[in-house]
Amino acid sequence: MSDQNPRGHTLDIVMAGLSKRRNAEKRFRFFGLASIVVGLVFLLVLFISIIGNGYSAFTYSNVALDITFDPAVIDPEGQRNPAALAAADYDTLWKASLLKLFPQVTERQEKRALNAFMGFSADKRLKDMVAEDPTLIGTTKTVWLPVDDTVDLLFKGKLGNEEELNERNQHYQHWIKTLKDQDRIHSSFNREFFTNGDSREPEAAGIWGAVVGSAFTLLITIGLSLPIGIAAAIYLEEFAPRNRWTDLIEVNINNLAAVPSIVFGLLGLAVFINFFGLPRSSPLVGGLVLTLMTLPVIIIAGRSALKSVPPSVREAALGIGASPVQMVFDHVLPLALPGILTGAIIGTARALGESAPLLMIGMVAFIVDIPKTFTSAATVLPVQIYLWADSPERAFNERTSAAIMVLLAFLILMNGFAVYLRRRYERRW
Amino acid sequence: MEKSTLFLLILLASTLAYLRNTWRARTLAETSGQKLHSLPGFYGYYTALWCALPGLLLLLLWLLGEGSLLTTGALARLPQSLLDGAAPEQIQLLVNDIKSVAQGSFEGQIDPAIQVAADRFSELTLWSRILLTVLSMTASLSGLLFAQSRINTDFRARNQVETVVRIFLIGCALTAIFTTIGIVLSVLIESIRFFNMVPITDFLFGLKWSPQIAMRADQAGSSGAFGVIPLLTGTLLISMVALLVAVPIGLLAAIYLSEYASPNFRAIAKPLIEILAGIPTVVYGFFAALVVAPFLRNMGAEIGLEISSESALAAGLVMGIMIIPFVSSLSDDFINAVPQSLRDGAYALGATQSETIRQVVIPAALPGIVGGILLAASRAIGETMIVVMAAGLSANLTLNPLAAVTTVTTQIVTLLVGDQEFDSPKTLAAFALGLILFILTLCLNIMALRIVRKYREQYE
Amino acid sequence: MTTLENSTREKPFHREHRSTVGTFTSDNPRIVCRSVDVYYGEKHAVQNINIDVGRHQVIALIGPSGCGKSTFLRCLNRMNDTIPDCRVTGDISMDGIAINGPDVDVVPLRAQVGMVFQKPNPFPKSIFENVAYGPRIHGLATNPSDLEGIVENSLRRAGLWEEVKDRLAQPGTGLSGGQQQRLCIARTIAVNPEVILMDEPCSALDPIATAKIEQLIDELRTLYTIVIVTHSMQQAARVSQRTAFFHLGHLIEVGETAQVFTNPQHQLTEEYITGRFG
Repeated sequence: MSDQNPRGHTLDIVMAGLSKRRNAEKRFRFFGLASIVVGLVFLLVLFISIIGNGYSAFTYSNVALDITFDPAVIDPEGQRNPAALAAADYDTLWKASLLKLFPQVTERQEKRALNAFMGFSADKRLKDMVAEDPTLIGTTKTVWLPVDDTVDLLFKGKLGNEEELNERNQHYQHWIKTLKDQDRIHSSFNREFFTNGDSREPEAAGIWGAVVGSAFTLLITIGLSLPIGIAAAIYLEEFAPRNRWTDLIEVNINNLAAVPSIVFGLLGLAVFINFFGLPRSSPLVGGLVLTLMTLPVIIIAGRSALKSVPPSVREAALGIGASPVQMVFDHVLPLALPGILTGAIIGTARALGESAPLLMIGMVAFIVDIPKTFTSAATVLPVQIYLWADSPERAFNERTSAAIMVLLAFLILMNGFAVYLRRRYERRW
Repeated sequence: MEKSTLFLLILLASTLAYLRNTWRARTLAETSGQKLHSLPGFYGYYTALWCALPGLLLLLLWLLGEGSLLTTGALARLPQSLLDGAAPEQIQLLVNDIKSVAQGSFEGQIDPAIQVAADRFSELTLWSRILLTVLSMTASLSGLLFAQSRINTDFRARNQVETVVRIFLIGCALTAIFTTIGIVLSVLIESIRFFNMVPITDFLFGLKWSPQIAMRADQAGSSGAFGVIPLLTGTLLISMVALLVAVPIGLLAAIYLSEYASPNFRAIAKPLIEILAGIPTVVYGFFAALVVAPFLRNMGAEIGLEISSESALAAGLVMGIMIIPFVSSLSDDFINAVPQSLRDGAYALGATQSETIRQVVIPAALPGIVGGILLAASRAIGETMIVVMAAGLSANLTLNPLAAVTTVTTQIVTLLVGDQEFDSPKTLAAFALGLILFILTLCLNIMALRIVRKYREQYE
Repeated sequence: MTTLENSTREKPFHREHRSTVGTFTSDNPRIVCRSVDVYYGEKHAVQNINIDVGRHQVIALIGPSGCGKSTFLRCLNRMNDTIPDCRVTGDISMDGIAINGPDVDVVPLRAQVGMVFQKPNPFPKSIFENVAYGPRIHGLATNPSDLEGIVENSLRRAGLWEEVKDRLAQPGTGLSGGQQQRLCIARTIAVNPEVILMDEPCSALDPIATAKIEQLIDELRTLYTIVIVTHSMQQAARVSQRTAFFHLGHLIEVGETAQVFTNPQHQLTEEYITGRFG
């Protein structure tokens, strides 16, 4: 062979090709790094666009109006009758007050715009004040009242491009400027976003109903999937003989973990609602469906946690005369529990963010009331996001993003706890 | 008694049974001077189980069967004329009326016939409740007494309790099987009903999908508007775009993280990438509709391309981002599973790091990576929220990623959200689509899992 | 590395063995090592090694497991670079050119210094591709027939040609253990190296396969310089001309193989080759 490839010659060939190969190396490395950067940039853009779009929903604009509680409007009979007080038209009060602030508004179009300036709940706010303290009638008082949601968006600077600045909005902008000069308009914390249920009016729509619905649903999910999942993992890992049946169960579980979530929704619809007749839209059915979805995750996590407990622990327990059941429950399970719980939390977090199967079982209805029981109609946070994302009103847009921020905060909390659990209790054998 | 009260009562009774019999077994051992076969606690557990299980079993039986028995009983009191020829939905309406009258929450004029049935319903409910209370109490009590009578020092309480525990464990493991059976049965039965209305060949090979046409009351679903082909091409188109995004990025990211990155960089970048997998799909859907789709449309307008605002590209792109961590973490596993000795072999020949990775590590890990990609494809095909929010509803038969297409999952959601009539082909079609989806993903999953498993065994 | 666990054990002997006994230099050496130290993190795995490797001869590195012989071997083609936390200091030069500096390109170095590992590690490719891989990446063959020539030649030299010539397209992993190891040797010599490092090449093989490899090593000696790590003293005696004895990271003794085995200078060497420990 020395005739074919003399030694020195080989080295020359290698050296000749070297710079090209080094460049290929650099390129490849660069592509790898670029891929990671692309992934992280997407993550960043996602978070920035959600937060940039949604942070403003946590505040809402209010205007200070000098409301005259005119007895002629509120209580023409003068009886202070609560029923009559409740039936009165309080919108007239703030309309009058606004007109006083902008006496130059006389043209019809403009007037109509002014009459829509304040929000849908201004009326209720005034009504509540009078109901609480009827002596207000006849007096004049400065009251902070919520504006209309379009006005709110204008004040926050969320509406800006030309098609959004129609004639009415230009009026609004003008008035907002006047109010700002008089220090009569400001944004404050939007408490109602966190305490209200859903509503057709953006300014009154809140996430509390969905949060409670999510809580009920997750309670069912955790309550069922945790014990069943742990028990199944224990059986498969510790007791099951290795045969065709357990193979079948194993294949089944691995496959279920990859079945599209929407198929679980179909199952829930056909079995729980149509066959067993459980109430539609209820957290009970939602929880059952999510349980079936979460189970494979918990079982798989549980098995790997149990697998990581070294056989020496089992042998030690059996060696001092424990029965297999005692061995598992007294020695193996406690050691594997942190791992199982970590898996369970991650599975539950996934269930919290799940929406597709819940659409199938009717948790997508428009529900104003805060759910009270496991069987009352409810929706969950991700579905609420889906519903709002579909709403045409511009003001729902920022609320959708804000609801997403709340959902993500919950998820980060849960996953953070799982990471903490893993770090704190992780054992290396 | 209410069922929940009954439930709590049974639990309370069995707790008491546990405490009492644990103590009893202990004193039995002391007084007789003999050694107990099991620890005293097991005698407690044994009696507690005998106390709780019969009662709870009855309770479960009632929960499952009571409803239909009560309504049958109540409906029997309705005049036959009301029931003859009534469709199932109408009967359901009657039952709802009866129930709300019985609960006193009915608003409006009450039909006297309904009132009779409602009275019967209330009466039956009362009897059923009394019967349940008596029966379950008796069952629990006799179970308890039986268990107590068997307790002596030779009694193998532990073995008995452990048998029950094992049965419980097996039952839990079987839920996986039952879930699968439930899925198969529920989609299959409804699908068969659907195929009785729409020929299966029309469904599988039809090129046109417009379920709304079949909605008109007098029209059967045979108008040929249930062709699944456009939905499948739409699904595959979007999944393709997603995989074209996710596979290169995910794979390269995994390679960089496992072969090049410093431990510190890896410790930060890997969890950050994995955050992408933890974000709910509804968020991605919103992101696709709010940011990505308008962005692409404007970009297209700049360069003179017409991109639909519901384009397959936007949905696919965002779906691709979502499955990046899925591809990268699986690939990472498989790349790490390639033995170091193979890398050493290549390095020892003078291969550069990238040559080693591209020509030795990746080919060695290929089966695993292919399995991972199949799993990712299955996930993309079954993904729902992104396409519901960002893809279109019109079933265009096209392979152009800039056009609007719809997917199987989108159509399932559209067909089932809102008012449902359970016998219309429109509703049943959703189950047929579910069947297709299940079969498609099942094949992919089983193939992928088999490849992955074989691969794992190869290097173990 | 197994180096770690054993060196923490209590030393079987406490004797002065800091400096190497015997002639560690050689006339017209191919590789020269002076004060070579290897660290794994804090662990000082190989300490102050001085040794020359001569041309066209087989030098065997022997010693109990964990003595640092494999670690030292991997310094000679910079394979220790692939182990995180591993640090090599000292002077190693080949044909007068330093190879241990940070600015030395390991690719041409490894093309010149090939390596065969303890466990046969054929790539998951065909037999042909396994052998052709090295020439391919280095661009040694200008055309396909050239490449075929190199593959055939290398397989012939590794004594494998007759066994596999009809199934070159089949996967290399399908061969028997001994065949796989000879395939790895063929793969190494296809790059036409000057030095071949062998890290216990027979430890995973049966006696018949071992005999074949040993015969092969003897034939290859005429063309290549071979450094072989072995824990079998008989093997060292059979195949090598020089032998170096390592113990707990120190090079205890170097010499002509016959001399080391018949008349060891150091007490540890004697105790090791007579089987008192190891």
